[in-house]
Amino acid sequence: MNIVLRELKAHRKSLIAWSVGMVFLILAGMTKYSGFANSGQSANDLFKGLPGLAAAFGIESVDLTQAIGFYSVLFLYILVMTAIHGSLLGAEIISKEEQEKTAEFLFSKPVTRTQVVTSKLFAALVNLLALNLVTLVASVIMVGAYNTGESVTPVILLLMVGLFFVQLIFLSIGIAAAGISKKPKLAAPVATGLLLAAFFLSLWLDITKKYPGLKYLTPFKYFEGRVIINHNSLDPLYVAISLGIVAVMLLAAYLRYNSRDLSV
Amino acid sequence: MMNMLIHELRQNQKATIIWTLSLVAGAALYLSIFPAFVTEADTLRKMLEGFPPTFRKAFGVTLESFATVAGFYSMILSYIMLAGSIQAMNLGTSIVSKEERGKTAEFLLTKPVRRSQILTAKLLAAFISLLVTNVVYLVAVPLIINAMAGAIIDIKTFLLLSFTLFFVQLFFLGLGFLVSAWASRIRSVLAVSLTTVFGFYIAGALDSIIGNTAIRYLTPFKYFDFAYIVKNSSYELQFVLIEVIVVILTIITSYYVYVKRDIRST
Repeated sequence: MNIVLRELKAHRKSLIAWSVGMVFLILAGMTKYSGFANSGQSANDLFKGLPGLAAAFGIESVDLTQAIGFYSVLFLYILVMTAIHGSLLGAEIISKEEQEKTAEFLFSKPVTRTQVVTSKLFAALVNLLALNLVTLVASVIMVGAYNTGESVTPVILLLMVGLFFVQLIFLSIGIAAAGISKKPKLAAPVATGLLLAAFFLSLWLDITKKYPGLKYLTPFKYFEGRVIINHNSLDPLYVAISLGIVAVMLLAAYLRYNSRDLSV
Repeated sequence: MMNMLIHELRQNQKATIIWTLSLVAGAALYLSIFPAFVTEADTLRKMLEGFPPTFRKAFGVTLESFATVAGFYSMILSYIMLAGSIQAMNLGTSIVSKEERGKTAEFLLTKPVRRSQILTAKLLAAFISLLVTNVVYLVAVPLIINAMAGAIIDIKTFLLLSFTLFFVQLFFLGLGFLVSAWASRIRSVLAVSLTTVFGFYIAGALDSIIGNTAIRYLTPFKYFDFAYIVKNSSYELQFVLIEVIVVILTIITSYYVYVKRDIRST
């Protein structure tokens, strides 16, 4: 419990900075929309008639002139930002003891390694949840302000659930990188390297339809804004895959961290 | 001076190799889908012609450059530029700040070198690392275009387009260098560099959807309009000037700040 409180305190500043950044991103994004909405013609009809064309550009039948449609584009960047937050948090929270030479001190206390990882995981989850809630509130307010049709709150809630799964995936990747690697310095670069690879793969998949199977490799394709908005539900397959990734990553992290030599 | 330069180059060696290979491999991956893209292109082109300009703008695509090898390359270059900017920003942000983070600043500063010399050596090393990446890229990618995309790109157009990668990298190198020289302790280089680069990228991406031109002055990702370059075989002078001024300002400020400030030794 002490470790949880300590970690929460240690990450308070960074959480506040991330929250402010997230609110700013949503605020700036939706303010841009207000300029767009006024000038926008009904691109909607054109989009609907030509799913093939739109898909070629990665904007599969979503009406950009609607507040929620524009938000779906913004949502990709929200995913990326929270993914960066999650992977760095996961990598740092575990590797910092070794990197800052506090591991010896920590493990001279009567705690097991499993307890330490569990406490840190718990503190990280609180951080993820807080950032998710901030995103939720900012999104509901900002999209709601420009929305003219029916309420968008339910679909934003759904998007936030998807967002949370992506956060969890990258947090667990970060924790696994730090838990497994004997070089604490490598944890953050490896975790963010995977993140960037996944991001560029998803951009690549947007312009080619040749290898649809590859979309299982990138979490950025699991919970796409436009798909969730159109179907009004999360794909259970992707929820299952996400949970699977998280379970495997955490298991690997626990097993390896329990047995390996710490770098001191 | 020379020792520091060589030391830094050696430290950056691995990262530079990994980044260079990743950028070239990324370019190859994106270029490999060009043949499939071009077969669909003609139909798409005919469809697009019937639509109002506002609609086309929503996609950020212009008719002239669409589905030619130069047009396709322009599209993917913006992704490569995003990756390259992360490389440059990482490099700039870490190269000075690592001394304080790794508690080696004290050791370095007791050597008979001026602080400005330290900065010069580090800046030069970072510059050379980026130069190497770009030279390899400029040699490899035309060959890849030829081999994988089965097309030949006009070499002048290719060079004009690809030099922008280096220019934008210099922007982020300068910015990272400034942050690095200024901040007394950066806990996580990646947190600083990734959020900054993506911040600029998102600002540019959202504004190109709505066709706002004011943002072009603010984000380096929009200093170079690829469609303009392909069409006119030249850059827009005012943005080149902004770029040069920003880079010079960040570097001068870095020296000014670093020479004076307290260096943490604990």
